[in-house]
Amino acid sequence: MSGPVRTLVAWCPDWPVVAFGRGLDEPVAVVHANRVIAASPEARRHGVARGLRRRVAQSRCAELDVVERDEAREARTFEPVLATLDDITPRVEVTRPGTCALVMRGPSRYFGGDEAVADLVRDRMGEVLDGRTEVRVGIADGPFAAGLAARAAHPVRIVAAGESPAFLAPMSISVLDRPELTDVLVRLGIRSLGSFAALPAADVLARFGNEGRGAHRLAAGLDERPPDARLASPDWSVSAEIDPPADRVDRVAFVARTLADDLHQRLDHDGISCVRIAIEAETEHGETLLRLWRHEGALSAGAIADRVRWQLDGWLNGSAATRPSGGISRVTLLPDEIVPATGRQLGFWGGESEVDERAARVAARLQGQLGADAVKVPERRGGRHPDEQLVLVSASTVELRGRSADLPVDGDEVAPWPGRLPAPSPSRVPAKPHAVELTDAEGAMVTVTGRGLASAPPVTLGIRGRSLPIVGWAGPWPVDERWWDTDEHRRRARFQILTDDGQARLVTLEQGQWWVTALWD
Amino acid sequence: MAAAERVRDLRLVAGQVAPLALARERTLPLLPALTSLFPEGGLRRGSIVAVGGVGATSLALAVAAGPSASGSWTAVVGDPGLGLTAAAEAGVVLERMLVVDPKGQDVAGVIAALVGSVDVVLVGPGVRIRPADVRRLTARMRERGSALVRIGALDEPGVDIGLRIVESEWTGLGAGHGLLRARRVRVETQGRGSAARPRGAALLLPGPQGAPVVLGEPALDEPAAGESEVRPALRVLA
Repeated sequence: MSGPVRTLVAWCPDWPVVAFGRGLDEPVAVVHANRVIAASPEARRHGVARGLRRRVAQSRCAELDVVERDEAREARTFEPVLATLDDITPRVEVTRPGTCALVMRGPSRYFGGDEAVADLVRDRMGEVLDGRTEVRVGIADGPFAAGLAARAAHPVRIVAAGESPAFLAPMSISVLDRPELTDVLVRLGIRSLGSFAALPAADVLARFGNEGRGAHRLAAGLDERPPDARLASPDWSVSAEIDPPADRVDRVAFVARTLADDLHQRLDHDGISCVRIAIEAETEHGETLLRLWRHEGALSAGAIADRVRWQLDGWLNGSAATRPSGGISRVTLLPDEIVPATGRQLGFWGGESEVDERAARVAARLQGQLGADAVKVPERRGGRHPDEQLVLVSASTVELRGRSADLPVDGDEVAPWPGRLPAPSPSRVPAKPHAVELTDAEGAMVTVTGRGLASAPPVTLGIRGRSLPIVGWAGPWPVDERWWDTDEHRRRARFQILTDDGQARLVTLEQGQWWVTALWD
Repeated sequence: MAAAERVRDLRLVAGQVAPLALARERTLPLLPALTSLFPEGGLRRGSIVAVGGVGATSLALAVAAGPSASGSWTAVVGDPGLGLTAAAEAGVVLERMLVVDPKGQDVAGVIAALVGSVDVVLVGPGVRIRPADVRRLTARMRERGSALVRIGALDEPGVDIGLRIVESEWTGLGAGHGLLRARRVRVETQGRGSAARPRGAALLLPGPQGAPVVLGEPALDEPAAGESEVRPALRVLA
């Protein structure tokens, strides 16, 4: 049994920012689902960090330029950088745009040692990057340790063969990037990879399942899966001819989608999932292009299709030097590394379940059909009025999988709102309240005095030309909101009014006019 | 020659021993307060439920709350005025809720897209669906296993079970004092097929906390546990 394969990982920091063609000295933050996923060093200097909400980030840095994440662009702009490594080794693997890995055995021997390859990789990539960002290179046993070595590199970090466990041991457990798992471990008092690796493997498997076992193996400097778990791969590849050859990505993307679905179905049928896939394209002039993509989890059909599209986009819209000379005439997908589908028990960690996935997909589809604001999801805010406590936000701004509608205000509990009405809440809150008349026994309009008292008991509610006798009422509950702001200052007095048709309404007096603002239907 | 026959026989046997999907298993769970209203004791997948009468919205939310609490997604179509706080109090899980505005386009098409991806589709009171579209939707819903809840469409074609609120009376609100506390309602069903036999139930809808309560349980007249109505005696402070 051999240990992990010696691997080189090259990492371009802040790639999501660099992909937008922005200098790292500008304050830029890239957001996805309303959360910052990357920020330029200048933005970080102002306190913008990953995971912040868009608003919070903007409040920390006023000049912050916020851009929406564009994974296709990240992949496309990374392709020319990768292309420079093609003559070092033909099998360059993309972990995600901005990070790539290559197996060291061949190149190390050919170029005369790890240092030589690391320098060569840095030179080649640096030439294309032209100062847009730096390149950090880490070499260690296995891609996980190499990735961490790259993060610790200034600018090169080589962990000698067999030293990886010792290199990993003092690192914080959070580098495993499995927040739910590490959260439990930290509470158990396990804070470093070394102490996690010291736990008996069988116990970790029993308590944390397959995902825990994978993390445990990584922490111990091994491959995520034991070598014998890899399957001998029969020919799983799928390919499609494109005729006439396509030189625009949208035409190829369509084929990619069907191919990905097809492949996924075949793998699924045999209980296999794919963690690394080779995407191969052949042009009409016989050139072949090949790139490997890896995913920590299993690649779903959508994820495969995305990667194929990004890759082809990168090739077709790349620089003149790397662009193929003709249109793409054939696309082949080759599951390069497959593992038995153990079913990532995501439900246990509260993650994306199949139902969430389906709902997210239909939301995206309807948004495509009807516009981004056609599909919304509720989000908790504070407020006194029924339409303020929960608001609808566009479904594209939140992550639907395993989401929580609660809105913790910067670590604080949502403040109590004195003056809000207790349960049961009204079941109808019209977007536009309609005007009504509330009159007393003499037929005069009921008003509310400055001290918050009703001028007379309300007797009839005039609504849409009808007048309904009032059988029960309570109020007024005055609200004086935002008195410090002349534009947003609101003074209202609210009544619960029950009429003899059995309908209960929330009636509000504002600026001398009565409105029905909610209805208990 | 005999092999082909044996394969055929085996197929026959296989078909007979294949597990059947029982009607019970093809239902979505309901809140306990509502189970007596439905012949299967649950919301049958593929069925159209219509609710009507004063309080229809609360009833629709109560129907959707059961599946939602047990992990299903809910989609609300064409009902921008739905009280979200009330939905949450009724038991609908807002984390698994989509609110869709069909923007005057083909509503049936939007519902058809949602069917199969979300388990319960709540259709607002103003939405009209043509009978031909209802038939097509029903076929799709049966196949995909979603249920439709329509507010205020009791007499529309295609409805499998209609729930009508026949009596409704609020408690808690006096003349100038008190607060809306709960609504006593009587729900009666009308329907076809297994739902043809009329059923009825007396409920608090909404109950004091928003969720429906079957009447007879201590909820209305006696204060619920932990919710003391007795005020402490006044004390003289120095």
